[in-house]
Amino acid sequence: MHSMVSGFGLRERSILHFNVADFAVAVERVADCSLRDKSLIVAPLHANRGLVYDMSEEAYRDGVRKGMPIKQAMRVSKKAVLLSPRPQLYQKAMGAFLKELQRYSPLIESGQIDGHFFVDVTGSHRLYGPPADVGWRIRRDVRKQLGINPIWTLGSNRLVSKVASRLVKPVGEYIVNHGEEASFLAPLPIELLPGLNLKELEKMREFHLTTIGALAQLTPNQLMVPFGGRSGVLHALSHGIDDTLIHKPSTQTDIVVGEHTFANDTSDRNEVEAALATLVGRAGLALRGQKKVTRRVGIWLSYCDGVQVIRQATHKTGTSAESLLQSLALLALKRCWQRRTRIRYCRLVCDRLQRQSPQLSLFAGNDTRGIKSRHVEGAMDSIRKRFGCDSIGLGRKYRSPAAENRSQISG
Amino acid sequence: MAADSSIEPCRVGELVYPSVAYGIEGPCKVSVGTCGYSYNEWVDSGFYPQGTMTSDMLALYCSCFSVVELNYTWYQMARAEALSRMLESAPSQLLFSAKLTRTMTHDPGSDWQEQLLAFRQGIAPLKDRLLAILIQLPAEFDRSVVNRNYLAGLLGGLEGLPVAVEFRHPSWAIDSVFVELERREISMVTVDEPELPGAFPFLDVVTNPRLFYVRLHGRNVSGWHSGNMQKKFNYDYADAELRDVRDRHLLRMAARSTRGVIFFNNHVQGRAPENAKHLLKILAKQGDSIGAFNG
Repeated sequence: MHSMVSGFGLRERSILHFNVADFAVAVERVADCSLRDKSLIVAPLHANRGLVYDMSEEAYRDGVRKGMPIKQAMRVSKKAVLLSPRPQLYQKAMGAFLKELQRYSPLIESGQIDGHFFVDVTGSHRLYGPPADVGWRIRRDVRKQLGINPIWTLGSNRLVSKVASRLVKPVGEYIVNHGEEASFLAPLPIELLPGLNLKELEKMREFHLTTIGALAQLTPNQLMVPFGGRSGVLHALSHGIDDTLIHKPSTQTDIVVGEHTFANDTSDRNEVEAALATLVGRAGLALRGQKKVTRRVGIWLSYCDGVQVIRQATHKTGTSAESLLQSLALLALKRCWQRRTRIRYCRLVCDRLQRQSPQLSLFAGNDTRGIKSRHVEGAMDSIRKRFGCDSIGLGRKYRSPAAENRSQISG
Repeated sequence: MAADSSIEPCRVGELVYPSVAYGIEGPCKVSVGTCGYSYNEWVDSGFYPQGTMTSDMLALYCSCFSVVELNYTWYQMARAEALSRMLESAPSQLLFSAKLTRTMTHDPGSDWQEQLLAFRQGIAPLKDRLLAILIQLPAEFDRSVVNRNYLAGLLGGLEGLPVAVEFRHPSWAIDSVFVELERREISMVTVDEPELPGAFPFLDVVTNPRLFYVRLHGRNVSGWHSGNMQKKFNYDYADAELRDVRDRHLLRMAARSTRGVIFFNNHVQGRAPENAKHLLKILAKQGDSIGAFNG
């Protein structure tokens, strides 16, 4: 069997995982070194009922947790300094980190402004040396260039390197050698295994499957009884088998992204749609500037309890027209906003971009409405370029309660 | 002493030489190995058969060598459970040297004493198969008062364990350092690296007759400061160079020791194991010279 596998030329994979513990705090501390020795809580300052976005290790030890109401967090950690989240700054730090990683591999996957990266360095040993050395060098360079100190772990797949990173928080490194995946996982608590849902965890506790090794001892057939169709996946996970690939990320030119963090977590439809309209306005300007159209508009919603939902809406031929982009965005929003929990953050992603067709419509003369719209968009773009992205937009943009309040007061 | 009768192979990759350590004539066991054993490049170069999996490398390595320098303990803190797992698959005759973790040499923090304790616990499974703990100090680690105190702290923390120290800064190449190492029975590593300004000299000083320790990094002048490991350690020792190392250093050191280890670090393109095998051949053929050195 072994020789057969070798004969097909299968190569062992080397996946590096980088994880910056308390990423927002780490970035804030780089931006202001006087915060280095202080306990920090990052949360929206002006929110009436804001929740903790991130906290430092010191605050964590005091009992502060992500998603905790600010008032409660400040009671628990009285000495903590409260900072407002700056997603754009964190995004910039992610970009700088990514740039360091791109020196070693094109196959990088990252989380969403959370300081998490998976890097596939399989087969790069002739260029850059052993994977462990690459991990160490990247960590050294990131620390030197960006001032942040990431955890790095090395495994034969994403699952193993992810679990390893959970063992060394908040700083450190862990190398799991090829062939040691199952024995590495065996003594660990079952809760450390990624990809399990709450029901599965509960069921495992019922069966006294407290370690990953205990789960691994069961055959897929035995697992079939309590876990049904998931038995194969669970069996593979417990043995450290994970074939998922690290995909090449979309480059800046392949994607147009906008995001908005609400000052107060909200479930107000007007407020969410107004924020979305602003993002659509910016995305449309970017697309038309690049002479591109998008064939897919995606909405990422983050709820205040940490749940994230992503849904898309597609357009067959692609568009950069603001009204059409708005319709696609609202459709995607409708598809992903299915809960009553308040929303903290939304992100608009326009991808599947292609060049705008230079060909004019054969019956352009009849499409007077379309021509008028394009003229309006052209005029709006001129204003935006001169006075800023948000200087003008569709009426929907100004239907936020805040705007209404202002008008009432001024009236 | 008849030289030919005193040079006998012991284990794979190990030779026995006569020596006059402690003023008493006796054998000096010399082992040759490499810094690390788990390199995919060594499959590409043919040292390991095509298709060799990482988990099978150690067993294959042992068919040529009886000693290995564990360099992954430099990248991450030694962990008892990981070393125990490795020992399960390692042939019983294999001996080890373990490199001290970078958090105590290259990136020392304020918690280095706790780190040292963790390292001691981490390498505990090696027991009597541990030949030495290698403390490799960075090139900028000069003989300042602060650094001397720090090194003394490290050596104190490793008391009771066999230790070898590799200096890269030339300021340490003075008699008072050799005397102190001798007093503490610590091996000073003999380093072969490119002859560049500021490099530590290639000495044949033996500070611990129980173990002489040699590391051959290659002599790639242009790649040494490149910052790229693949360039830095890309070097193939010529036959004449290895013979010269043998005559000017190894035989002299073997004559003053009871044990010696020689490690090749030029791992790029599988040159380290090939050079190590070649050196073993050269050493095994050595007869007359040994007699000469032992007077």
